[in-house]
Amino acid sequence: MVELKHLSYNFGSHWALKDINLSVGKGEFLFLTGHSGAGKTTLLRLLYGALPVSRGRATVAGFDLHRLKRRYVPQLRRRVGVVFQDFKILPRRTVFDNVAMALEVRGMARSPLERRVRAIIRAMGLETKSYTQCERLSGGEQQRVAIARSMVSNPELILADEPTGNLDFGLTMHLMKIFKQFHTYGTSVIMATHSREVLEAVPEARVLHLENGRIHDLNKPDDTEDDIEEFE
Amino acid sequence: MIGQFFRLTGRGLGDILIHPWAHLLTLVAVAMVSLLAGFVLLGLHNVNMQLMKSRGEVQFQIYWKTDTDPKIIESQWEAVGSMDHLVDIKGFTPQDALLELADTLGEAGDFGWLKETNPLPFSALASFAVPPSSQQEGWAAGILTKLKSMPGVEKVNYSPLQEDLAHGWKLISKAVIWPVIGFLGLVVAMVVGNTMRLSLLTRNDEIEILALVGAKPWFIRWPLITGGMALGLTGSMAGLGLLKLAQNTLADILNIPPLFIHINFMPMEYCIALVGGITLVAIVSSWVAVR
Repeated sequence: MVELKHLSYNFGSHWALKDINLSVGKGEFLFLTGHSGAGKTTLLRLLYGALPVSRGRATVAGFDLHRLKRRYVPQLRRRVGVVFQDFKILPRRTVFDNVAMALEVRGMARSPLERRVRAIIRAMGLETKSYTQCERLSGGEQQRVAIARSMVSNPELILADEPTGNLDFGLTMHLMKIFKQFHTYGTSVIMATHSREVLEAVPEARVLHLENGRIHDLNKPDDTEDDIEEFE
Repeated sequence: MIGQFFRLTGRGLGDILIHPWAHLLTLVAVAMVSLLAGFVLLGLHNVNMQLMKSRGEVQFQIYWKTDTDPKIIESQWEAVGSMDHLVDIKGFTPQDALLELADTLGEAGDFGWLKETNPLPFSALASFAVPPSSQQEGWAAGILTKLKSMPGVEKVNYSPLQEDLAHGWKLISKAVIWPVIGFLGLVVAMVVGNTMRLSLLTRNDEIEILALVGAKPWFIRWPLITGGMALGLTGSMAGLGLLKLAQNTLADILNIPPLFIHINFMPMEYCIALVGGITLVAIVSSWVAVR
């Protein structure tokens, strides 16, 4: 699903990512951990085509990002769902409109679109708020709308950048259940997080620790205990 | 595809209501710019009209040779009287001319002693008002030649001042007015363009989110362009409406002695150019704003 080989990225003289090698298989759940500025968001942004891959190779859902032309970026994004800490939903539009947006851009006919959107809204427990403007929803509800939008098109990969960062423990656990549920359907998930509770919610997931732009696989025995302790 | 096109068009128009205040202020700004541009065009149009009108007004003073048969002269007065665009003709016999001269000079003008040996010739004062549509190159010279070629006519005088003034205006029009209109267009384009772009800043989040979920550029742009087109069209038409209101109110403000100038509204092609130009700028700036 994701193949990174010697991937590096710099902002001017600062190297945000250094020589990253990573392979994420279909249906795999992967956590990216690390302090602020470690490069987690930069890595995710590279994966959904928000930043250009200039050094190294990156393949996501069959797209070679190094060679990907700008006009093909929308096609990549239709196969990748993205969830953010600050939700990135349109506050003055309804729950239905926000979720439907991901299918409208594909030109899906109205009738199947409505069926699918209603189904995912129901799965998120938001059916009574389908036609409520998102600015009237709580933080947890807004994040559920964002997750529904990222999942409504059955993406092969979900990239989530601190999706529970603004939420309390109860809501965090609820959303992690939703992520796990979609993961069981075969969707790959890469989630950046600071939270130990989030890591514990998916014990079978692989955990990668990013530090100063370099990656350490915490599941591999040859990675030092120091890395794990430092993260803890 | 067609359904999606109409849906996106409808969304572009409907989205105006999502940020009503931002778009209302944009609309007012566009209307004000249209009004100001309209005032400049209205002024130019009326100055042009006044000069073209006076350009067509020419008087010719025709003098006949003293030995010409009065019957021939009277027939020629009739011939001149039937010429195109003639407004008025006054014929003067030598006696009439002497009386006119005496009237003009008042008490000092007693020419009774010249009654038998009047040296003044037959003459006529012909006034023409040629409309702008008939003012081909050299029209005044054409009338002059025609009058001079009449049998018995000795000389024809006319004042080329108005003609020269109008000719000068025409040259100025070519050299100055178009650059002025071009500059005006540039200012309007910059003001309307920047206003539209600022109004689209409120929708940056929407553009970003649509791009994130895989929308193609035309899917993002089309609703913004239709919204921009609606704002440009409505704003410029509102500006034009205000201009018409102002023209109605001020139409006769200069219609007093000695000016007698009635302020006319702009012709349809000016109105279309103003509305079309501003709408086009709104569309282009909506397109550019998303880049």
